[in-house]
Amino acid sequence: MLFPSESALRVDPQAVAGSRDYDIVIVGSGISGAIIAKQAAEAGKRVLVLEAGTGANRSLVGYDDLLTTFYSAAAKDNQSPFPVNANAAMPRSPQLRKLQAGETDSSTYIVQSGPYVSDTTYTRIFGGTTMHWEAKTPRMLRSDFKSRTNYGQGLDWPLSFEEVEEDYRLAEQEIGVSANVEDQSYLGQTFPDGYVFPMRGLPLSYLDQQVNNGIDGTSVDLYGRIYPLKVRPYPQGRNGIPNPAYDGGRGYRPVGAVNTHQVEEGGRCQGNTNCVPLCPVQARYHSGKTLAKAFRMNGKSGQPLVELLPQAVASKVVIDPDSGKVSALEVKVYEDPRSPVYETITVRGKVFVLAAGAIETARLMLSSGLRSTSGLVGRNLMDHAYLLNWALMPQICGTMRGTSSTGGIVDLRDGPFREKQAAFAIDIHNDGWGWATGAPTSDLLELVDDRNLHGRELRQGLIDRVSRQLLLAVMLEVMPVESNRITLDPQFTDALGNMRPILSFTVPEYTMRGAAYARQFSRTVFARLGAQDHTSYDRSDFGYVAYEGQGYAIRGGNHLAGTHIMGTTKTNSVVNKNQRSWDHENLYLVGGGSMPTIGTANVTLTLAAMCFRSGRDILNYLH
Amino acid sequence: MSDRIETFLGLSVELTAFSRFDLLATGLAERYLGTLDKVVGGDTTNTLLAAFAALPPPGDGTRARALRATILGSELLGDVARSLIKLWYSGTWFELPYAWTQRFGAKPADATFVVSPDAYVEGLLWKAIGAHPAGAKAPGYGSWAYPPKIPAFPASDTKADAVSVHLQNVGIMS
Repeated sequence: MLFPSESALRVDPQAVAGSRDYDIVIVGSGISGAIIAKQAAEAGKRVLVLEAGTGANRSLVGYDDLLTTFYSAAAKDNQSPFPVNANAAMPRSPQLRKLQAGETDSSTYIVQSGPYVSDTTYTRIFGGTTMHWEAKTPRMLRSDFKSRTNYGQGLDWPLSFEEVEEDYRLAEQEIGVSANVEDQSYLGQTFPDGYVFPMRGLPLSYLDQQVNNGIDGTSVDLYGRIYPLKVRPYPQGRNGIPNPAYDGGRGYRPVGAVNTHQVEEGGRCQGNTNCVPLCPVQARYHSGKTLAKAFRMNGKSGQPLVELLPQAVASKVVIDPDSGKVSALEVKVYEDPRSPVYETITVRGKVFVLAAGAIETARLMLSSGLRSTSGLVGRNLMDHAYLLNWALMPQICGTMRGTSSTGGIVDLRDGPFREKQAAFAIDIHNDGWGWATGAPTSDLLELVDDRNLHGRELRQGLIDRVSRQLLLAVMLEVMPVESNRITLDPQFTDALGNMRPILSFTVPEYTMRGAAYARQFSRTVFARLGAQDHTSYDRSDFGYVAYEGQGYAIRGGNHLAGTHIMGTTKTNSVVNKNQRSWDHENLYLVGGGSMPTIGTANVTLTLAAMCFRSGRDILNYLH
Repeated sequence: MSDRIETFLGLSVELTAFSRFDLLATGLAERYLGTLDKVVGGDTTNTLLAAFAALPPPGDGTRARALRATILGSELLGDVARSLIKLWYSGTWFELPYAWTQRFGAKPADATFVVSPDAYVEGLLWKAIGAHPAGAKAPGYGSWAYPPKIPAFPASDTKADAVSVHLQNVGIMS
């Protein structure tokens, strides 16, 4: 599966503006937009996809340029492969600092209004955040869809797990999930008879196995209930060994690199340990794989059904005052990422889909003056809160090898304790303390500069220090709170004059109670492993949160959700269960922003499943 | 190969405990010598190389002490030698400490930078721990499930047992 060569041609913005035959105009080329574009093209619809980034990474040269940029970056943060583009700016975590009470920091793309400073990121390039995602693809649990009913916390979805299950399978097919049903059948998760994932599960890392050796067969007691511990494999959106039993024995054909032959690249994960920020071989799914299929579909006269206009930043949703429908999008098309020169074009279509991620979609709505009847656009912002715990194992574990994460401790994703405190899932990071401390570079600096090691002692010191690293990244549930939100202010704009998102966030007490327990839980695990706990949280850390006399450095999870929440009426939500706007019948707001809760599942699989649902609804609407 | 690069390689072998063969295999030796010349200047680089050449010969019991006294513990050369170690291990030149700059003068090219994309990929750090640079030199599907192959390195005269003690936990990939 390759991008057709004509898809690399530059689409003329004037031709786009003059076109009157788009059935669907989609903002954003991430996984949400890609799935809807592909579904629409399969039904013979004309689709325009607008992408704020340059689109240069569609070509192999462009993709490899990202890798070279990553290699060349002195600070290898999770956006380091992606060049600065002021016209489509994105948050970059190394730029953050702690806020004083009442302070606002507008020095970064997301204006931090506090009190909590979030280092959450998303990626504004072709492929969206699937260009840098880690690709863990757990499903949400059945109980996650009814957390208000079950635990008195958060909101119930207007959909049950059963209504989403089939779309989960479609999403697993599209992404190409590697997992084994027997590994994922914990906490009451069920799969249809005979179901297998497209590819077999990736093996646990040697580090995972060493951790499991220390905890398997042990348990923890939480509010009088016993939870057994073990390291379980995560389902992964990256290519493994195809399962011949998939699809009733028809098997599964993985999609590798989409701009060179997959015999050479991407057919199977090679263990580059670099899922975040960029898989060098495209073994990890990115939405270009879905768009490659969409770009190949032609209409009756042979013309491609799906067009991509890059360097096109949607800046206003225009509403027809009589019908309440969206009549057009105003789009700023820039000529060069190094220059703020742009022209504004107006794009027309029958249906409009905003698929720009939870923050950018809310930003576009708010900048168009569209708060919705419920007033909830931009509110209920959610993102998983991460609490990092790091230790040195007593034995060499071969850290820094594998995919970014293969296994974790996930048995506390659900239980009656959720009436009181947040559930969590823990992933074991095969790249050691990197996220917490900047390892292994930080270790090298310490050993050379502070411990005065060189030669053999340095080599031995690195083995002792790096190959034994264990990081437990605790991903905590965060419930919707209306005051956690994105707003806009005309005084904060970007290079094109678009208003930038302002983030106001307080980590909910429910989450912090879970974090406090997670810290104790991690200490218990380290004690069972005989591991030296090196965890410390600095008061000056930008994400430092005090809770009940202790302090914790909370990290963002890049799992943004809630800003155009889904519900049952136009007064309690922005979109209905098909992600259609209650107020504007030809407008769909899709992606994590529609999710009423996020449980302890990384959001991509669920939001992908939701887009299959929306795609069907759009086609019904057009017919 | 010039005497100068030979001396540079000899110094680098001593500082990194990687063999001449390993260092040449990175393809970066001349580039790193050139980085020294560019960042701290030819004079300081030559002073460093001369200090190395003046060490007592290998096998002489005083050599290690002399290396600490005249290079790693030298006010001028110590920080430069440490930046050179970090360069070989990571491919990144790390800016010299503020105190060094204050004393010996700011150098225009002295900033933290990755010397080249392949310098990152060839960092010795990854080889030292039996891993691979994140995003390159992938070891293959499923290799992560097995113990690391941490390469042995020459035992020192005085600590000949250190390597075998610490490597006993490390299996060979099956």
